[in-house]
Amino acid sequence: MLAKLDQVTKRYIKNEGVRDLTLCFPPGEVVGVLGLNGSGKSTMLKLIAGLLFPTDGRVVVFDGPPRRNRAKIVYLGETDALWPWMTPKDADRFMSGLYPDFDSGRFGELLDALEVPRRKTKTMSKGERGRLRLAMALSRDAKLYLLDEPLAGIDLISREKILSSIVREWHTDETILLSTHEVAEAEGLFERTIFLRDGRLALDAQTEDLRLQGKSVVETFKEVLA
Amino acid sequence: MKGFATLLWLEARRSWVWAAALIGSLAFWAWGIEQVRLMQVGERLGVRAILLIVASMTGALVLALMIGRFRSETRGGQYQVLLLTPPSGYVHVGARYTFAAATAIVYYIAIGFLFWWIAEKAGIHLDAASAAQVTLALPLYLMVITILPFLAWVLLWMVFISSYRISGSGWIPGTVMLLGSFFSLRFLVEGLIDIAYRLPSWRLFQNLQTAIDRAAWEAEIEGYGGFIAMPQEPFWVMLALIVVFLALAGRIWQEVEG
Repeated sequence: MLAKLDQVTKRYIKNEGVRDLTLCFPPGEVVGVLGLNGSGKSTMLKLIAGLLFPTDGRVVVFDGPPRRNRAKIVYLGETDALWPWMTPKDADRFMSGLYPDFDSGRFGELLDALEVPRRKTKTMSKGERGRLRLAMALSRDAKLYLLDEPLAGIDLISREKILSSIVREWHTDETILLSTHEVAEAEGLFERTIFLRDGRLALDAQTEDLRLQGKSVVETFKEVLA
Repeated sequence: MKGFATLLWLEARRSWVWAAALIGSLAFWAWGIEQVRLMQVGERLGVRAILLIVASMTGALVLALMIGRFRSETRGGQYQVLLLTPPSGYVHVGARYTFAAATAIVYYIAIGFLFWWIAEKAGIHLDAASAAQVTLALPLYLMVITILPFLAWVLLWMVFISSYRISGSGWIPGTVMLLGSFFSLRFLVEGLIDIAYRLPSWRLFQNLQTAIDRAAWEAEIEGYGGFIAMPQEPFWVMLALIVVFLALAGRIWQEVEG
């Protein structure tokens, strides 16, 4: 098991991020994490990444606490957190210096495939920065990828490029957890879909099973979360 | 080691404008010294020394602002990115501190040179050993007991505020630590005064009196037979304090939520 949440609750000062979540993530899955705003998607991904610590329950990643295994986890946060002076060349130096599993060759190929301009991020559009961040994330050779809203606020063409890169770069022993509001565009990726509502697990289903029931992920989303 | 080198590079990329501006400002101070044209040599030396003291204090402020720019990273999300990188919190804190300390060392040694220069201009020609002491030993000693612990404290303070942001502005933990620090500083200074000179002192400027006499000045260094005795206790205590501050900051970094 790559990651496991065991009755995890995360309380903030004024509200609850997630409540009593129990989930397992074996290797080799592309999992869609879906829910309305404030449903706990980002909290769940941050808990697995080790950015947050659970108030109750236990998060185990690679048989240990997530923070101890952070070198093995790829986390792409929802915040656009690149330094404005950073160029793709700087990003290459940053990543290859800090992550032993970063592949500079693969990064160069992804930059080309995603058509990322070689200039400072402060002069890039949001879509270009999003593509650069994704190239940085996917150039690592990890087993667990946590992608939090990589499509948010990004134009249609960039979204298509990002999705096709995720499909292309995915290996069968890797698990990707992807949260998004662009359900219709991304649903073709998901082997498994997790629906969260008010911080609780509303549904955890294999996407194929939903399809056998004659439902798309979008329809299930509306049915479960409306 | 690669992680530390990369974080040091990152720190240099983040802060090179601050460091360059600070070190570049020495040209302004040198120009300012040149503009002091009082007739009396002693007054001229005094005013020039005051200018260099102001430069030293300004430098401390700029360095503190440089090392303490955590808030923008917390808001911008870069703090989260750094929290998830494999190097430990100690390496992150160490890299930030190393860059600021290296900048400080360059700056204050240059100020030491300016002190040597104004002494020369006042006719006090120091021998090679004393010149090395005024440009190297004295700045390093003074940095270890003032600027370097101050920078370590600022780093700890900013990590503390960024990590335990009880409110959006982080003013509550910041205020608590600031007030606590003022009380602690008082006890620290009193304690250092109590223990000073228990260990053998460091003798600096053995031949300063001779140089002053040769310059036909009437000033006399009293009590120490022509040298300045620096107590070594504050040096070791503050050095230990730097290590404690950095260790605490690194530990907080390890435990913090993003």
